[in-house]
Amino acid sequence: MFLTRSEYDRGVNTFSPEGRLFQVEYAIEAIKLGSTTVGIRTPTGVVLGVEKRVQSPLLEASSIEKIMEIDTHLGCAMSGLTADARTMVDHARVTSQNHAFTYDERIKVESVTQAVCDLALRFGESVHDEDAMMSRPFGVALLIAGIDELGPQLYHTDPSGTFVRYDAKAIGSGSEAAQSELQDKWHKQMTIPEAQKQVLRVLKQVMEEKLDQHNVQLAQVTVDKGFEILDEKTLKEIIDDM
Amino acid sequence: MSIMDHNGGSVIAMAGKDCVAIASDLRLGAGAQTIAMNFEKVFPVTDRLYMGLPGLATDVITLREKFRYLTNMFHIKESRPLQPSTFAHLLSSTLYERRFGPYFCEPVLAGLELTPSGTYQPYIAGTDLIGCLNFAKDFIVAGTASDKLFGVAEGLWEPDLGPEDLFETISQTLLNSVDRDAYSGWGAIVHVITADKVVTRTLKGRMD
Amino acid sequence: MPDMSVLAGPQQHQFNPYAENGGTILAIAGADFTVVAGDTRQSEGYSIQTRYAPKVFRLTDRAVLAVNGFAADGNMFVKKVKQRLEWYRHAHAKDMPLRAIARLIQTMLYAQRFFPYYVYNILGGIEEDGSGAVYSFDPVGSYEREACRAAGAAQSLVQPFLDNQIYFKNQTAAPGQSHPTHLPLSDVLSIVIDSFTSATERHIEVGDGLEIYIVLAKGRSLQGVEGLRGLREMSSREDGERVFVLQRELKKD
Repeated sequence: MFLTRSEYDRGVNTFSPEGRLFQVEYAIEAIKLGSTTVGIRTPTGVVLGVEKRVQSPLLEASSIEKIMEIDTHLGCAMSGLTADARTMVDHARVTSQNHAFTYDERIKVESVTQAVCDLALRFGESVHDEDAMMSRPFGVALLIAGIDELGPQLYHTDPSGTFVRYDAKAIGSGSEAAQSELQDKWHKQMTIPEAQKQVLRVLKQVMEEKLDQHNVQLAQVTVDKGFEILDEKTLKEIIDDM
Repeated sequence: MSIMDHNGGSVIAMAGKDCVAIASDLRLGAGAQTIAMNFEKVFPVTDRLYMGLPGLATDVITLREKFRYLTNMFHIKESRPLQPSTFAHLLSSTLYERRFGPYFCEPVLAGLELTPSGTYQPYIAGTDLIGCLNFAKDFIVAGTASDKLFGVAEGLWEPDLGPEDLFETISQTLLNSVDRDAYSGWGAIVHVITADKVVTRTLKGRMD
Repeated sequence: MPDMSVLAGPQQHQFNPYAENGGTILAIAGADFTVVAGDTRQSEGYSIQTRYAPKVFRLTDRAVLAVNGFAADGNMFVKKVKQRLEWYRHAHAKDMPLRAIARLIQTMLYAQRFFPYYVYNILGGIEEDGSGAVYSFDPVGSYEREACRAAGAAQSLVQPFLDNQIYFKNQTAAPGQSHPTHLPLSDVLSIVIDSFTSATERHIEVGDGLEIYIVLAKGRSLQGVEGLRGLREMSSREDGERVFVLQRELKKD
C-alpha cells in the first residue's frame, strides 16, 4: 500500500483512480496504533474496557481519559488519536441533550452513533467564504455503548463514518488477537460480572505490562444504573476475583 | 374591564315541574380583590317571587330598595297579589326609565304565577340592564359567569324536574360555573320555590 | 372635485396578521382510549366561511392533534408537525411517541415566541404504557398532561361542564364509594356529543358538523360502540393502536 504512494495521497477529498480515499484509509490505519479497547454486550448491559499505556512512573494514570460519558444511558471508549474523540464526544453529547430537550425522551444508541458518524466525513468541507471546519479525517475509532428501548447495544465507528453493531468488539493495537478471543468466549447469556472479567482477560492477554487497576479502565452501561466508570477500588476487586 | 364586572357575582334561575329555583354566589369584590363572602344577590319580592340582581353592588342595593318600595306601593294601592308577570313589566319599565344612564344590573326573576284555574305555574324571566325582557322556558343566567352558566345549564337542565332534582341541577350548574370564574364564587345560596313553601339552602363551595 | 382635505393630515395604516376563526375543540382521556373532537364551522366575525373545515388531524396511529384559533396558522402548524414526524421516522426508524410529540409541539410553538402561531393545541392519543392521554398547550408552548380539556370559542361553556361530568367536581360519592377515575368509551362519547350540542345551542361560532376521533390502545376493542352511525376506521394497521373517526351533524343556524 505504501509503495503505491501517489499524488492522491494528499488530497483529503480526491478519489484515486482505483476509487480510494487514501487519507481515510490511513486514518483507519492510525487506529491500529492506538491502545486496545474492548466492548462486550450482555442482555442486561454493555461493558467497556481500555488499556491505559502508563509510559512513565511519573505519569498520573488517572489523568488518562479514554472512556467518556455521552449521556446517562450512553458511554463510549476510544482508540487512536484520542484528542479527536473530544470533538466527536462533544457532538454526541450535544446531540443527545438536544434530543432530550426536543423530544423529552432518551436518544436511541443507533441515532447518536449515526450523529457522530455524520461528522466523520466533514473534513475538507467548506462553505463559500468560510474556513473549513476540519482539515483531515478523524484518527480515532469509538465503541459506543448504550441502552434504549431495543435493549443494550454496542456500536463501532471508524474514521470513514461507517458504523456497525457488535455483540463484542475489540479495536486498537491488540485488536486482532483480542477479537478472536472474544469470538471464542462470547455467549448470549453473559452476566455483567462475567463480561467485566472477560474484558479484563482479553486486555491482559494483549497488554505488555502486568494488568492492574491503574493501567486499565472499565466502564459499563446497565439497565439499572445507566453509564458508570468503575472506580479503582471496584476495579481492583474484580481483578483480584479474576 | 366593564363596570358590570367590577364587583363580580352571578345569578341563575331555572324552571321545573310546579316549581322554580333561583340561586346566586356570595362573593363581593372590587376588581380582583375579594371584599366579602356573604353578599347575597337574590331577594324576595313576594312569597312566591324572588329576584336576583347581579351587577354593580351599589345598584344591586339601590334596586333592591327601589323595588321594595314599588312592591309595597303596589300592595297598598292595588290590595291584590303581585303576579310575577306584572312585576316583570314593572321591572322592565323602571329600568328603561334610565335608558341613557342605566343601573348596571341584569335582573333575573323566578316565581310562580297564579293561573285563572287557581294553580301555580312556573315563571322565570330575565332582563338586560335597560329592561329588555327575556322569557325563557328553561333557565335564565346573568353575571360574570354567565357564559359558563349557559354551557353547564344547557348540558344539565331537563324539562319537568321536581323540587329536589331542580335543586340539585341548579346547585351543580352554579357551583361548577363559578369555580371557573375568578369574579364569582365563595359559596352560594339557592331558593327553591313551590306553591306552598320556599326552601332556602346555603351551599359550601370552593373558597379560592 | 373630491374632498382631498382628509389627505392633509397624517394617515395610519395597520396590517393585522391574525384572525380569529371560531370553533371549539375538546379531548378526553380514558384508561385505554382517548377521544378528541372538534366542530367543523369556520367563521370570521358574523360570516361563515365554510361549514366543513376540519380542526382535528390524525398524526400517527396513536396521536391525534386538534388545533383551534387562527385557521391559517393552525393548518400550517399541523403541516409542520407532520413534516417533523416524518423526519423523525426517517432518523430514528419508529413513530414518535405521544409524549415526544407533546414536547416537540412545545419547542415548535416556543420557537415562535415573538410572532406566535395564534392557535390553541390539544394533543390526544395513547402513551407508550398504553394509557389514554391528553396534552393541552397555549399558543407559546406552555403544556400539561390532563384527563380532559376544552379550548376555543366555547371553552368557557364546555370546560365547567367537563369539570362536573369527567372530574365529578362538586359531587360527593355515596358513603363507602368513590368516583371512577376513567369513564367507559360510550359515556365519554355521550358527554362529548352533549358538550357540542350545548355549545352549538348557545354560541354562534360553534356548529355545522362534529368530528370525533377515537384512539384505541393496542388490543382494545371499541367497547360496544362499533355499531355507531358515521363511524369510520383510519388506522394504517390492525395490530397496533387504532384510530376511528365519528362524524355527526350539528345545527347549522
